[in-house]
Amino acid sequence: MEVRTERMIAYCITGILFVLGVICYTALAKMAPEEPIRIFFTSIGGSVLFDHKGHASDSGYAIACAECHHELEEEKGKPSACGECHQKDDAQDAPKKADALHKLCKGCHEEGGQGPVNCKSCHML
Amino acid sequence: MPDQKLYLVSYAPYWHNGSSVRARSYDYILAALPAVFMGILQYGVPAFRVVAFSVSCAVLWELLLNKAMKKPVTIVDGNAAVIGLLLAMMLPATAPWWAVLIGALAAILVGKWVYGGLGCNPLNPPMVAFAMLMLSWKGVVDFNAALVNFDLGFDMAYPPASLKYFGASAVEDFTVWGLLMGRQSGGIGTTFGLGLIAGGLYLILRGHVRWEIPASFIAGILITASLFHVSDPARYGAPIFHLLTGSTLLAAFFLIGEDSSSPVNRIPMFLYGALGGFLTVLIRSIGIYPDGVVFAVLLINICNPLLDKIRPKAFGKGAQDA
Repeated sequence: MEVRTERMIAYCITGILFVLGVICYTALAKMAPEEPIRIFFTSIGGSVLFDHKGHASDSGYAIACAECHHELEEEKGKPSACGECHQKDDAQDAPKKADALHKLCKGCHEEGGQGPVNCKSCHML
Repeated sequence: MPDQKLYLVSYAPYWHNGSSVRARSYDYILAALPAVFMGILQYGVPAFRVVAFSVSCAVLWELLLNKAMKKPVTIVDGNAAVIGLLLAMMLPATAPWWAVLIGALAAILVGKWVYGGLGCNPLNPPMVAFAMLMLSWKGVVDFNAALVNFDLGFDMAYPPASLKYFGASAVEDFTVWGLLMGRQSGGIGTTFGLGLIAGGLYLILRGHVRWEIPASFIAGILITASLFHVSDPARYGAPIFHLLTGSTLLAAFFLIGEDSSSPVNRIPMFLYGALGGFLTVLIRSIGIYPDGVVFAVLLINICNPLLDKIRPKAFGKGAQDA
């Protein structure tokens, strides 16, 4: 095969792959699922990978949404993300995110006598 | 009596055996395909777009640099495509386009052309790019953070991270067969152990990778991991776990044996591979990174010129009857 022909083939394959890559990145981008599967909390004390599906699904712990998403007790609708109200720093109307999550996760684990309660059991230190 | 066969050289004219950079590159791509297909099968379109974009960007950067440096166009030799493919294999399926674009540039420019192009690079180009991405944008290559929206029916926590942070009990559900069949999270082309082993054996049989390097790398991993595991089984993982998780198999068969960044003599090859395996487990066990392969490979790449100083005695030198 001539060098020129080989080069043309290389250009064509590269062009096709580039166009496919661009199309897939723009038009076929995977949207986040409506209900989170896992949530990755970043923290200076070590990140935490929370298995949301494992806690919420019937095949997992089957915990009702309102048990954690306490705003559902007052208003019907979709649960909102923790970070929408619980911010990184203290706010007037809601405890800061780290405190809220610690209280919720650790509190439930201690109350139920199941699940990790030590720092190193959840935080990737 | 010396082996006379070693010194037989036939008279000219000679006949080229047909080997070329291009054939070698295509063999690499062929060998990598099973692992890449498994990644695309598992993660779907997101994985495909990373592979397609990485390969095409690497080739386009190569073409651009050829033109900018007024060098002959080298994209036909397939080396840039191999670099792009290997980089994509190490990335998570969710890698953003800009990270792939920058990674491909880093691999081709910083990993390869800064040193003079093919055959001159002291470090493995895809590893250089991955290390740069890892140090610059940690979240992009943090598999736990990157793959939160995927549920493939098995434990999706990144196995080396689970072992490092939560001990051996956190990874006891992973089976050897499951790991070999890709039932673990990780890079697009790093999880399908069986495919990587098959591809690696193909490269060894085709003569593109010297068996001494992957064999000593794997031995280094197994021996070092065994020592750690015996010292504290609750904290350190089993040797086979270290071998089948992270980027270990990809590095063993596709990355550390790269020609210009690995030794050419047999004893240095053994030392090079064993040192790589030792450093990988050392970084995983007492370092700060869950997967030590990236920096272990770059460190042994740096050691390569020094290791290659161990060479056979020159013919005739020091002989009593010379």
